[in-house]
Amino acid sequence: MRNKRLRANALAGYLFISPWLIGFVTLTLIPILAIMVLGFTKYPILAAPKWIGLENFRYMFFGDPRFWKSVWATLYFAFASVPLKLAFALAIALMLNLKHRGTSVYRAVYYAPSIVGTSVAVAVMWREIFDSKGLVNGLLHVFGIPSQVAWLGNPHTAIWTLILLVIWQFGSPMLIFLAGLKQIPVELYESAAIDGARTWKRFTRITLPLLTPIIFFNLVLQIIFGLTVFTPAFIITSGAPLDTTNFYALYLYTRAFENFQMGYGSAMAFVLLLIISIFTAVVFKSSPYWVFYESEGPKR
Amino acid sequence: MKRYLPIIISVLLAASVPLFANGQKESGQASGQQQINLGAIWWGSQTRDERTIAAIKLYEKDHPNVHFTYQFAGWNDYWTKVTTQAAGKNLPDIMQQDYAYVTEWTHRNLLTNLDPYVSSGVIDLSHTSAPYIDGGKVDGHLYAIDLGANSQTWVLDTDAFKKAGIPIPPNDWTWNDFEKITMELHQKLGIWGMGPNLTDEQIWKSIYLGLGEWGYAKDGKSVGYSSDKPFVDFLNMALRLQKAGAIPSESNVITYLNKGPEQLPIVTGKSAMAYVWSNQIVALQTAAGADRHFTLHLLPRIAGGKSSNYIKNGQFFSVTSQSKNPKAAAEFINFITNSVDANKILLAERGVPISTIVQDALKPLLSPADAAQFNFVGLVATAGNSSPTPPPDPTGAANVIQNVYQPQVIQPVMFGNITPEQGAALLRSKADAILSGKQQ
Amino acid sequence: MNPKVQNDSPIGAAIAPMNQRQSVGNSLPMSMRQKKRRDLAKSTLFHVLVIASGIIMIYPLLWLLSSSLKPRDEIWNTVTQLIPHHLTIQHYLDGWSGFGGVTFTTFYINTFIYAGFGTILAVVTCTTVAFGFARIRFPGSRIWFAVMLLTLMLPVEIQIIPQYILFSRLNLVNTFVPLLLPRFLDQAGQAFFIFMIVQFIRGIPIELDEAADIDGAGRFSIFTRVILPLIQPPIVTSAIFSFYFTWGDFLTPLVYLNSPQLYTVSLALRAFADPSGLTDWGAIFAMSFLSLIPVIAVFIMFQRYIVQGISTSGMKG
Repeated sequence: MRNKRLRANALAGYLFISPWLIGFVTLTLIPILAIMVLGFTKYPILAAPKWIGLENFRYMFFGDPRFWKSVWATLYFAFASVPLKLAFALAIALMLNLKHRGTSVYRAVYYAPSIVGTSVAVAVMWREIFDSKGLVNGLLHVFGIPSQVAWLGNPHTAIWTLILLVIWQFGSPMLIFLAGLKQIPVELYESAAIDGARTWKRFTRITLPLLTPIIFFNLVLQIIFGLTVFTPAFIITSGAPLDTTNFYALYLYTRAFENFQMGYGSAMAFVLLLIISIFTAVVFKSSPYWVFYESEGPKR
Repeated sequence: MKRYLPIIISVLLAASVPLFANGQKESGQASGQQQINLGAIWWGSQTRDERTIAAIKLYEKDHPNVHFTYQFAGWNDYWTKVTTQAAGKNLPDIMQQDYAYVTEWTHRNLLTNLDPYVSSGVIDLSHTSAPYIDGGKVDGHLYAIDLGANSQTWVLDTDAFKKAGIPIPPNDWTWNDFEKITMELHQKLGIWGMGPNLTDEQIWKSIYLGLGEWGYAKDGKSVGYSSDKPFVDFLNMALRLQKAGAIPSESNVITYLNKGPEQLPIVTGKSAMAYVWSNQIVALQTAAGADRHFTLHLLPRIAGGKSSNYIKNGQFFSVTSQSKNPKAAAEFINFITNSVDANKILLAERGVPISTIVQDALKPLLSPADAAQFNFVGLVATAGNSSPTPPPDPTGAANVIQNVYQPQVIQPVMFGNITPEQGAALLRSKADAILSGKQQ
Repeated sequence: MNPKVQNDSPIGAAIAPMNQRQSVGNSLPMSMRQKKRRDLAKSTLFHVLVIASGIIMIYPLLWLLSSSLKPRDEIWNTVTQLIPHHLTIQHYLDGWSGFGGVTFTTFYINTFIYAGFGTILAVVTCTTVAFGFARIRFPGSRIWFAVMLLTLMLPVEIQIIPQYILFSRLNLVNTFVPLLLPRFLDQAGQAFFIFMIVQFIRGIPIELDEAADIDGAGRFSIFTRVILPLIQPPIVTSAIFSFYFTWGDFLTPLVYLNSPQLYTVSLALRAFADPSGLTDWGAIFAMSFLSLIPVIAVFIMFQRYIVQGISTSGMKG
C-alpha cells in the first residue's frame, strides 16, 4: 500500500514538473556541462577549444588584478542594494496596502521605473541626471550646496549611482510583497484589533510572520540578481572608474565576447555559480528559524 | 478575463504562423541565369541602415539574378551577433569589419583573401591609392575593402578661438603649442580648452606614429615603440592641464566614455576643442546647430616629429570564408566601392569613399559638414600631412585596451594613484605579455 | 498572540471588502468631527508623501517624454529643463518609419506575439511545475528544485553560444522557435516564477488539499479546483513580469533573428544607436517612450487581480 502511494507520488510529481525537466535536459544541461568543461580550455569562439587545465583558474585567482576588483565591486553592490531595495519595496507595499483613494495609480507610478528597465533610454537619462551639470547637482544648488561632482566618474560615488538605479526599480519586489500582503486574511487583523492590539503589534505578530515565505523568496532572488548584475554597468559606466563598477558579470562578458576568451569567461561563470550557491545555501539553511509556512503548521 | 483568453490565444496563433517558418524568401527565377542569394551584415545607426539597404536594392535592380538578405545591429551588439554566428557557422557572405578585429578574424580563417579578385579585376582598385587600401591588409594580403576613409581630427570651435583672440594654429602644431593654447582658452573663456578624450588610446598610438613607430610592433607580438618617454611627457602634460582645470577632470572624462559625438562638451560650448574621427563631424555639427563654426585640424605632433595623422580605413566590407558565392560577394563590394550611383545614396556616411572618381562625383552633393570631412581627408592625404597607414591592430589589442590601458594605466595615472612613469612601464610589460600570448 | 486564531476556519475566507474595515487603532472615544479631521490629515499626509516620492519615481520618464518632443538641436542643450522650448512630433514620425521599409508597426506586432505567446506559455507551465514542487513529495524533488535554482545563477550570455549551435544545426535560426521554446519549457529565467508560486502555494494550508482528497478529488483536481483559484495574485504577478521581461528582452532576439522583418521593438531600438556615426536620439527617445506604453497598459489592466484578495466562497467549514 505504501509503495503504491510512493509510486503514485513519483509519477504525479514528475508529470507535473515535466515541462521544466524536459526543457532542462534538452536545452540547458548541455550548455551547463559545456561551460564546466570550457573553463579548462582556451576558447576564442572563432576557433576550436584547446585544453589548458587549471591555467584559467590560476590566472583568475593569482594573476588578474581586475578579477578581485570585480568580486569586491559586486559584493559591495549586492550588500548595499539588496537590503535597501527590499526595505523600500516592503515599506511602499505596506503603504499601498492601505485603502486610500488612487492607490492603483500610485501602484503604477511606483512600478513604472521597473518598466523602463534596462533600455538605452534609461542609460542616457541616468547619465544626464548625475552629470556634473545635471539634475542632482542642480537640486543640491537649490539647497545651497555648490556641488560640481561628476557622480558617475568619481571612484567614490560611481557605484552608488548604480545602486540608486536598482533601488529606484524596486517595483518588482514591491508587487510581490503586495500580493503576499493580500494573501493575509483580513479577519486576523480584525480579531487582533478587537483584542486591542495596536498597529505595530499587528505588524510584528501577524503581517511579518505570515509574510516570511515571501520575504524569503524576495531575499533569495534579490541576492541572485544583485550578484549577477550586468546591464546597469554595461549601459551606463562600462566598469569605470578604476573598476569600481566593473561587476563580475560585466567583466565576464568583456572577457568572453569582447576579448574572445570564452574559456576564461566560462571559468569565471563557474566560480560565480559557486559563490552564489554558497550565499543562497546559507539563506536556505537559516530559513527554518525564521520562515513560517501556513501549510506546514507549527514547527516542532 | 477568462472569457477573452481563448480569443487572445487564437489571434496570437493566427498572426504568428509566419514567424515559425524560416524567414528567408526566394524570389522568382530570372530566365536563364542562376539565382544567387547573398547575405550581408553591418552595424550602424538608422541613417546608415536605410542608405545601405537602398544601395542593395539598387544593386538587385541592376542584377536581377542576385537576391540579398541583410541584417544589421547597433555597434555594441554587432560583435556579439557575428561572433555567435561564426561559432554556429552561420555567417552571411559579406560582413562589415573593423580595424580592431580584422586581424583576429583573419587569423581564425573567417575571412576570404581578396587578392585574387583584385588581380583578376573583379574588384577594381585602379582609382584609389595605397593609403586607402593598406589598412585592410593582414600579413600582406588584402582581406577587407575600406568603405569610407577617415582620419583623426582635432575640431576647433572657431568662434571660441576668435573670442579668446587666439589664432588658429598651423598644421604642424606641436603638443607644446597645444598645451599653451588649451591653457589660454581656459583662462580667457572660463571653459575647458579641450574636451574629454585627450587620453584616448588612438592618441597614444598616434604619438609614436609621428616618430616613425606605432603603438604595436609590426609582428603584433609586443608594443611597437622603443622609448616610454614621449608617452610619459604626454601624460605629464595631461596632468598639468587637468590640474589647471583646462581639461575635464578624470571623473568628468569617465562620464563621457559611452557617449557619442553629439554629446561632447564642444556641442554645448563647454569646451573649445574636441577630438573625433573625421566622419563624426557630421553628427557634431548637426547636434550643435548650423550656426556654429568648426574647423577640422590635424593632430598636434611631437616637436621635431612627423605628422601623427594617417588615413584610417573606417569600416570595411569583407567576404567571409563560409560564403558559398565569394565571387558574387566580391562583385557587390566592387559595386559599393566604385559605383557613383550607389555612393550618391550612401553619401559618405561611413567616411570618404576610396575611389577618386566617386569622390569627385559626390563633392557637389555634399552638405557643408560632409564637404568639410572630404576636404580634411584630402588634406591629410597630401604629402607631409600624414604618415603611412599602419597595419590593423593585432590579435589581443582589444584585451590590452580594455583590461590594461584604461583601467590599469590611464585611470590610475589621471586620478593620481600612480605616476606616468609607472603607468607607461606597466603598459609596456602587460601589453607585451598579452600580445606575445604569454598571458591571458 | 497566536497568529492562528481559529484553527478550523480556512485561511482563504477573506471576503470582507476592504473599505468596510474600520481603523480601530486606539480605543479612546472620539467625536465624529475630530475623527474626520484626523482622517483628513492622515490622508493628506499620505497623498503628499506619495506624490513627492512619485515624482522622484517617474521623473526620468518625464524626461524621456520631454526629450522626445524637443527638436534635435535642443535635446542636448537643454538637458535639465523638462518643459521644451519648442515642441515637435517629428521624432515620432522619423522613429516609426524604422529601417528600410520595415516600420515599427511590424516591430510592435512581432513583439506582441513574442511577449504574448511567451507569457501565456510560460505562466501555464510554471504554475504546473510549481504545484509539483510545492505539493507533491516525490523522490528527487529537492535535488531538482536546487538544480532549478542553480540555473538562475548562470549568466545567460554564457549559455547563448552552445544553445545557438544547437538551434542552428536544427535549422531554426531566424524563426521564433528558439525564442519561445525555452519559455515554454521554463528555461529562460522562469525559475523565478516557479519559485515564487511555490512560496505562495506553501502559504495555503494543507488541510484544504486533504479535505478535497477525502472527497475523492484526484491530484489534478486538487490543482485546478483548490490551489489555482487561491494563487491568482502570484499568477498574475508572474504574467506581468513575464510580459515585461519578454518585451525588453534583446539578447535572444539579437542572436536568433536575422531578418529585420522579424525584429522586436527592443532590438530595433538598439539598432538606432551608433556611437561612430549619426544617432537620431530624438527618434530613440520617442520610440522608447512609446514602447513603455504596452507594458504599462498590461500592468494597469491586470494589477487589480493581484490586489482583489482571495475569495473562496463555498469552502468554509
